[in-house]
Amino acid sequence: VITARSTYTAADLQAIEDLCVGHARELGLGPPEILFHLVPAETVYSVACRQVPGRYSHADFGVAYERMKAAYDRGEGRIYEVIFNAEPAHAYLLEGNSFVAQTLVIAHCLGHGDVFRHNPYFGPTDKDFPARVRSAAARIDRYYARHGRRAVEDFISACQAFALHAPLDRLGRSYTPPEPEFKPLPYDELFPEEQARRWADVERAREEWRRRFPTQPERDILAFVAEHGHGLDDWQRDVISIVRAEHAYFAPQARTKVLNEGIAVWAHQHILQELELDSDAFLEAQALNAQVACPHAGDLNPYNLGIELLREIEAIARGELDGLDECERERFAAWAGTTDPRRKVIEVAHSYDDVSMLREFLTPRVCERARLRDRPAGERVTREEFERVRDALVAHHLTLGVPVVEIVAGDGRGRGELWLEHRHEGIGLDEEYAKGALRMLCGLWGKPAIVRSIAEQGGTTRPVWYIAETPDSPAQMKFSEPS
Amino acid sequence: MPVAQGSGLPEDSGRRDAQHNRARVRRQIQDALRERIGEEDIIAAGPDKRIRVPIRSDRRYRFILDRGRTAGRDGGTGPQPGTDPGEEVYEVWLDMEEVEETLFASLDLPRLKPKREVAADAEDVVFDDIEKQGPLLDKKATLRENLLRAARAGEDEVDWTRDDLRYLTWDEEPRPRTQAVAFLMMDVSGSMSGDHKRIARLFFYWTVQFLRRRYTHVDVRFIAHTTEAREVTEQEFFNRVESGGTLVSSAYECARAIQRQEYPASDWNVYVLHASDGENFYPDNERVVDLVAALMDVCSLVGYLQIAVRPPGRFAAGSGGKLAEHLEQRPVDGVVVAEVSGDRDIWPALQRFFAKEDVEEAVIRA
Repeated sequence: VITARSTYTAADLQAIEDLCVGHARELGLGPPEILFHLVPAETVYSVACRQVPGRYSHADFGVAYERMKAAYDRGEGRIYEVIFNAEPAHAYLLEGNSFVAQTLVIAHCLGHGDVFRHNPYFGPTDKDFPARVRSAAARIDRYYARHGRRAVEDFISACQAFALHAPLDRLGRSYTPPEPEFKPLPYDELFPEEQARRWADVERAREEWRRRFPTQPERDILAFVAEHGHGLDDWQRDVISIVRAEHAYFAPQARTKVLNEGIAVWAHQHILQELELDSDAFLEAQALNAQVACPHAGDLNPYNLGIELLREIEAIARGELDGLDECERERFAAWAGTTDPRRKVIEVAHSYDDVSMLREFLTPRVCERARLRDRPAGERVTREEFERVRDALVAHHLTLGVPVVEIVAGDGRGRGELWLEHRHEGIGLDEEYAKGALRMLCGLWGKPAIVRSIAEQGGTTRPVWYIAETPDSPAQMKFSEPS
Repeated sequence: MPVAQGSGLPEDSGRRDAQHNRARVRRQIQDALRERIGEEDIIAAGPDKRIRVPIRSDRRYRFILDRGRTAGRDGGTGPQPGTDPGEEVYEVWLDMEEVEETLFASLDLPRLKPKREVAADAEDVVFDDIEKQGPLLDKKATLRENLLRAARAGEDEVDWTRDDLRYLTWDEEPRPRTQAVAFLMMDVSGSMSGDHKRIARLFFYWTVQFLRRRYTHVDVRFIAHTTEAREVTEQEFFNRVESGGTLVSSAYECARAIQRQEYPASDWNVYVLHASDGENFYPDNERVVDLVAALMDVCSLVGYLQIAVRPPGRFAAGSGGKLAEHLEQRPVDGVVVAEVSGDRDIWPALQRFFAKEDVEEAVIRA
């Protein structure tokens, strides 16, 4: 029987962990080996601020540390656990948390572990990742010593800003302009001179098209810069590759955030139901669970949205279809009311990402329960509102708030300029941030950088060009193409 | 699957990152502390208190969608995390030790001279070693390091990096020690209003903190005066309330008497600091100026802080006829006069009295 208490040994936790793993297996979860470390707050916050154990030092992580530590010291929120996806996985438990809290956290981590191991977006676990993280940290320390901490830190920050532009997957295809063609006009033969001139124009355009670089618009900005950038040092190329490798580690977690947290909450809820808790321990566990999984006013809590989506899947599997329209009923017809709810949840954990899960399982019921629309509890959400919310959420998770920006020319105007195009959907780039980012990009590239987007001017939307000539001078915004 | 105590990871990596960041935002921290030096609750809370300093971090630029348009879209439909980069303000918590280190780094006791040997075990520092870290930048060694690095890289010139910096650092040697005494004198007469007294106390509080933190061998003596002056304990000095007329000369005489008896100028650096509203019994002013001039024979600094608080809704009376004017009419080298009218002037006043002398000059003299 688990009691509410604040003293325990590692062996006590070991016993609990064995129990939890057994129950997790019964639920259908297949968590990998996880090493649980019982560590002081300093260590938990140190790992949390660098996000990966053994990662290089950076002043920006210090800012995160100050933030989290201040919240912890004021008692405004604490981190219960940090988990690191490796082989074996490592989870860091905060010493001084109560026994019940540790039990819940262990069960929670088993959910994460299952997603790490079985969700296809994570791919095979990179066994060498921890070693490469340590080696990268050692190299960056050397660069700090050799080239100055400030300069290297700024370079790392710039890389991190553009690492986000590596595509989450390679499915999104870029538009490649077709080869220019000669289009014959009626009566062409009456005007041979005119025709010859047009032929010459097409030939020139073809020549340019053949020499275009890159041959296809490139979304992976850092990869392109590392390969073709002007005047990059070896250490700079190394930093770019380090940051890209980190992004490859973070990207699957970012694209399955809602699913991952949902499964972790689902795991701790179900496992705790199986464990024997005395009444105090039970109350404490309920309070903790509520704290983690409640909706946040005006903000999205992935724990809450995740568990609500999974609950919806369970409800549909049980055949509860009230409030769903024809289209939705049809979509779920193949398995609604006929599938084991838990098996369906595990199936989703092992095959979906956030976008596909939201597209398929976000219903008006979830929208109400997760308070995605700011309405008093119990008030119905209209179908129109629901569709707007769903589309906005899906759109956000498609790009995670990163606008699609592609490199369209690596030798712009024959002067080596980097030309980019913002593939907008009606909303342009933020002017201040675009100018700041472009100056950083110009610094990475080593020559001027130009991005084309749109902006509002006098009530109309017009094409706009942001231009950074040098990293140290302010970037310009122009409403006409630079020539 | 094991549960283990500990992780083998360094515990302090987060704190070290935070220190690097604090070094980056040192300026902001300094400015914020200097602003807040007049807040009484900093003092009231005692040495365990931690001070929160809000810091605005650099914008983390990247490509994002137009904030003006995404914010209002759909009239607040659903949360859209990640689209709003947010105002990036966070708090840095400093304990009093860090607060004082940061504040006092740019202050110094002026004209501090080594005095006659008093104790055999006294040590002094000699700046004769060069290290990567230390209190004093050595420009020559730094330049040498940069040139060496350029030569190694086979280039004519390389950019300056932090790693080039070389500092002078010290060895400790038995030497005649610098010892100092500070006379802190406060006007507690009836014309000092509550605000006057508060500012005077704050000023002296920071003065005492500065002296004690920075100098091991410093005596601090406290003198309170109305029409007559007497030496008081530190406790009394900061808490006593009195009333009555003002005769400033009494305080200077009192300081002079104690100095003559206990602190011969041949052995001690003598500092005199006085705070008052300047409303002295008029005929006494000339006498004060004479006394100050006489004191300068034995003092390294006589500082006079005139507090001119403006009562709300009234025009300032102006400093006409007040003590500061008399002192400024007959300037004496080493006499520093500062005026404060509110909390925000406390830091500039401290800076005026304890201006750091040119570092290199100090090294040469040592």
